[in-house]
Amino acid sequence: MFLRNYWYVAASAADIGRKPLGRVILNEPIVFFRTEDGTPVAFEDRCAHRHLPLSMGKLVGDRLQCHYHGLQYDRTGRCVRIPGQEQIPPDAKVKTYPVVERHRWLWIWMGDPALADPATITDFHWLDDAAWGAKSSYLYVKANWQLIVDNLLDLTHLAFVHETTIGNSALAEHASVKVTRAPNNVVVTRWIVDQPAPPTFVKVGGFTGNVDRWQIIDFTPPAFLRLDVGATPTGTGAPQGTRVGGISMRNLNAITPETEKTSHYFWGQAHDFDVTNAALTQKIFEQIETAFHEDVAVFTAQQRNLDLIPDPPQVDINADTGVIQARRILDRLHGEEQAALHATAAE
Amino acid sequence: MTENAVKLRVELVWQGDGGDAARTPPSIYLTADGRVILQGAAVSRAEREALALPLDAELISVDRTLIRAIKDML
Repeated sequence: MFLRNYWYVAASAADIGRKPLGRVILNEPIVFFRTEDGTPVAFEDRCAHRHLPLSMGKLVGDRLQCHYHGLQYDRTGRCVRIPGQEQIPPDAKVKTYPVVERHRWLWIWMGDPALADPATITDFHWLDDAAWGAKSSYLYVKANWQLIVDNLLDLTHLAFVHETTIGNSALAEHASVKVTRAPNNVVVTRWIVDQPAPPTFVKVGGFTGNVDRWQIIDFTPPAFLRLDVGATPTGTGAPQGTRVGGISMRNLNAITPETEKTSHYFWGQAHDFDVTNAALTQKIFEQIETAFHEDVAVFTAQQRNLDLIPDPPQVDINADTGVIQARRILDRLHGEEQAALHATAAE
Repeated sequence: MTENAVKLRVELVWQGDGGDAARTPPSIYLTADGRVILQGAAVSRAEREALALPLDAELISVDRTLIRAIKDML
C-alpha cells in the first residue's frame, strides 16, 4: 500500500549532482540529476527506446544521454536527439516528477502533478536552522515502510532494543502516555517522571540524578515522524512546561517506500544546546545512529517473518494505541485515494 | 508504590474534526490490568427517577463524542 499524492524525501540534496542517481520510489524507477545551473530534475529511469535505466547514462550539457543507443532527453523528459536520425517519435518521452529542495533534502511529488503544492511539504526546519545543531543521514531498510512508522510511534521498545543508548526500563514500566488523535494526525506524548536518565542522556547531558523525561511524537501522513525529546533534572518543572537545566533535541524521520518490502529511511538529529559544538553534534548523532542500526536489525527480522508467514495473526497491547491510530489514518487515506482514482478512470 | 501504580498508563484523546475548539475532548484510559476507564459524569438520583433508570446501579453519563472516540480509537 502506498499513498501517492504526497511529497516524499527522495534524497539528500548533497547526493544530487551531475552524475545521474537512480532510485526506486513507490515501485517507480526514477533518475535524479542537476542541470548546469544547479536545478534538480527527476524523471522516469527508463529509456523510452529499450528500457535501459537512464541513470546508467551521462549528462551532455543539460541532456541525459542513454548509455545504450545515445538517445538524449531534456529536462522535460522529452527525447530531443536520436543518433543517426532526425525524426523523433512523439512518444519518445518519459514521465517527469515535481521536485523541491528543502531542509537539505530533495523532495519529490509522486502523485498527480497538478496537485503538487510545495506549501504542503512537512516542516523539518531543525535540520538547517542556525538555532539548532543538526546532522542527518540515510538508511536503506529491507522492510515495509509501515514497520518503521510503527517503531517510532511506540517507544517502549527503547527499553529493550536500545538499552545501551537511549533506553532504560522506565520507558516501559513508568511511562504516562497520552495519544491525541485528529483526523489526519497522531501525537503521542510520553512522560517518564523522576526516573534514571538513559546512558546517552548521561553522556551528553551530564545528568547525575533522576530526570523528568519527555518524548512527544508527531505523526503526519504518509510517514513523517518528528520527535521532541529531552530531559531535565527531576522536580524542575518540565511536566508543567518549564524546561531548564537539561537537554532538548529533535529526532526527525522521513520514510520513503522503495517497494512493498524495502524502504528509504531519511533521518536527522538536532539539539538546541551548545549548537555550534560540532563534536557534540557528532557525539549525539553517533549515539542515535547506533540505536537506529539496532532498529534496522529488528525491521529486517520482522519483514523476514512476514515474508515467510503472510498475514499472520497479531496481538495488540496498550502501548500500540498510537500505532493503531496511525495505521487507521493511513488505511482511510489510501481508500479515499483509490476511490478518487477509480472515479477518475471511470469518467 | 502499590501493585497497580503507574506502569504504562495510556490516555486516548479524540480531537475530532474541529467542532468546538474550546471544548476539552474527553479521555479514555487504558490500565495495565486490562480495564478501560472513561471520563463521564455521575447520574443523579433525580435524573434516574426522571428517566426511570436503575436507582442502585453504577451509571455514568458520557459525552457523545466519547462514543465516537471509542468507535474510532479502540
